Amino acid sequence: MENLDAARLQMAFTLIFHIVFACIGMVMPFFMVVSHYKWLKTRDQIYLTLTKSWQKGVAIFFVTGAVSGTALSFELGLLWPEFMKHAGPIIGMPFSLEGAAFFVEAIALGFYLYGWGKLPERFHWITGIIIGLSGVASGILVVAANGWMNAPSGFDYVNGEFLNIDPIQAMLNPAWFTQALHMTLAAFTATGFAVAGIHAYQVFKKRKVELHKKAFKIAITFGAIAAILQPISGDISAKDIAKRQPVKLAAMEAHYNTEKSAPLYIGGIVNPKTQEVKYKLALPGMLSFLAFGDFDAEVKGLNDFPEDEHPNVPMVHYAFQIMVGIGSILLFAGILYFISLKRKKWFNNHKYWLFFVVLAPMGFIALEAGWIVTEVGRQPWIIHKIMRTKDAVTPMPGIVFSFYTYVAVYLTLSVAVTWLMLRQIRVLNNSNY
Amino acid sequence: MLYVVLFFLIFSLFLYVVLGGADYGAGIVELFSSKENQKITKKTVYRVMGPVWEANHIWIIILIVILWIAFPVYYNIIVVNLHIPITIVLLGVTLRGVAFVFRHYDAVIDNSQKLYDGMFKVSSLITPIFLGMVFGGLISGHIKIVEDIATLSFYEAFLKPWFNIFSLCTGLFFAALCAFLSSVLLIGESESGNENIYVRKSTIATIVVFTMGLLTFTYGYISGNIFVIDFIKNPFAILAVLLSAILLIPLWKTIKKGNKVWSRFFAGLQVFLILMAALISHFPDIIITQTGSISLIENIAPDSVINVLGISLIIGGTVILPGLFHLLKSFKMIKILEQHNNPSI
Repeated sequence: MENLDAARLQMAFTLIFHIVFACIGMVMPFFMVVSHYKWLKTRDQIYLTLTKSWQKGVAIFFVTGAVSGTALSFELGLLWPEFMKHAGPIIGMPFSLEGAAFFVEAIALGFYLYGWGKLPERFHWITGIIIGLSGVASGILVVAANGWMNAPSGFDYVNGEFLNIDPIQAMLNPAWFTQALHMTLAAFTATGFAVAGIHAYQVFKKRKVELHKKAFKIAITFGAIAAILQPISGDISAKDIAKRQPVKLAAMEAHYNTEKSAPLYIGGIVNPKTQEVKYKLALPGMLSFLAFGDFDAEVKGLNDFPEDEHPNVPMVHYAFQIMVGIGSILLFAGILYFISLKRKKWFNNHKYWLFFVVLAPMGFIALEAGWIVTEVGRQPWIIHKIMRTKDAVTPMPGIVFSFYTYVAVYLTLSVAVTWLMLRQIRVLNNSNY
Repeated sequence: MLYVVLFFLIFSLFLYVVLGGADYGAGIVELFSSKENQKITKKTVYRVMGPVWEANHIWIIILIVILWIAFPVYYNIIVVNLHIPITIVLLGVTLRGVAFVFRHYDAVIDNSQKLYDGMFKVSSLITPIFLGMVFGGLISGHIKIVEDIATLSFYEAFLKPWFNIFSLCTGLFFAALCAFLSSVLLIGESESGNENIYVRKSTIATIVVFTMGLLTFTYGYISGNIFVIDFIKNPFAILAVLLSAILLIPLWKTIKKGNKVWSRFFAGLQVFLILMAALISHFPDIIITQTGSISLIENIAPDSVINVLGISLIIGGTVILPGLFHLLKSFKMIKILEQHNNPSI
């Protein structure tokens, strides 16, 4: 394996893990404070048990997120030193603010976890809110830094040098808002459906039904609302990418030739050699409409750009299809949940719970697929149109060994975390509230 | 603004060395304890570190972020030439963090605790050794800066800078310092009757710190290490080290009196002095290569970056520091209240 490929795989691998930990650590505090609020309001013991159980989940995911995040903050430099040498100062602003937000989160978490029965109830609850808010702020700031890689701004690039650096303009780059909005909603959708799915499984298995139903309702409400809002954000993102990164949009749709009234492909098998997409469903004019709000608009095809600036088209296309496909299913499931609130008898139906169990991993699969679209779709650039990924990689040979080590450690960790969560649920089911 | 940034760089380095160091040290103390004492230590460590555990380790993130934003040349040398020890540190941090959480948050207490404990203790020792080796690597004078690093052999580019006796000495010195900090901290936190365990540990740790320090310097001096030679020639550095040694007297007095606030203050001050001695003896040339030194001050990011970073750090600091202080204070107060309500503790 080449050094560049090994470095890319290691980065992708660690990010794929970190994103899961970070999203759960960022969204679960909200479930926890809602349950905590209900406990304070109703003094129903079930909510206290649930809050305490979720808080353990938050603690475990916060720490795994923090350590994998620490590893990433070094890895950026370890794997891409040339990138960090130039980009580090420019995108430092969101990272330093993220550090601050993360710190606030850690402090609030300290108060929250150890504050039971020691801090005034209201203050204690508020520290829970702070955990959630600072977590979301961290997420938005990190995504803003990624946005800069897609839409570099806040500097002049003259003869290979980065001059007149403006860190604030770099942070508020043209991509930050669309990406941050899309990612925040995705985090809520993915975590909401995942947590709801786990509790749905417990209801399905008829264990502590009352508790798990309450837990399910809290989690799915967040997930459903986010899933219903997501298409709006997706539309904003598509229009933004059509303008800024036409190559990425073309790869997402496996759209090779520039044409007016371009069709939207759903599914299909891409053959990059013949530039054909087989077995697809083509909706005439829809791509033009979705990208530019006009059925007749011209959409640039990949062939309009030099071949050495193309990303891996099939991978981007498939990832995009998976993301949109799952997003649509979750949108439908979200609406279904709100209907079920009116038709209470659905709650007694086995299949209702099974449906949500099946959906549990879906949000995260869509979220990872979305990041593959963003990251692989930007290739061969590490900084769009400024620096190529191959020019940023570390000169140290043998990254492949470091890659295998990370794979071994992270796989072990995920097995361990899953096992720990299972034990948590088992204990919860045996508790007497 | 450069000075604000420098202040926060040194401030977070110091806090990471003291807080993170005490945290690593806890694992080291546990590793070198008898079985029975290990249990006591584990319980005490959790009580002391639990609420602030997450916060302790964020200092290294702040440190690294300041480095890459404001001092990209330094960051670049660290991540390229010291890639291997940093990767080992990262694995250590990961395993240690996870082990700490697992052993305290696992819903079921069973045999798997042994595995978590083992992971925690071993990574607590290895991580600070390699952290110290990274610092040793920077000042060992083995780093070679060339136009194209591919022209160097793998050994010369990526191993020699840190894989040497001098770096190993600094690594062991740092680990001993961590154990020293932690045992002083634990004296004040242990339940009555157990203090002597940690008094004994801190005596041993002091001796090891002293021995390792002496060894590092002797070896550095004999092998002609520029950093060590300049250190010895620098009156401020020598003064700081001497002062740090003299502080052992009030430290022991306060420990005997059971005054934990002052004993911690003195221990922290000692580490601060040692750190300062190391920094001022060669400031601003903290990286020493085969062909000369690289200045921290002369290789900084553009002014606009430094200004914005400085402002963010001031804002961040005003939010975080009172919060952190309050966190430390609240739980201390709570503990005292508990002791009042429940005399059996």
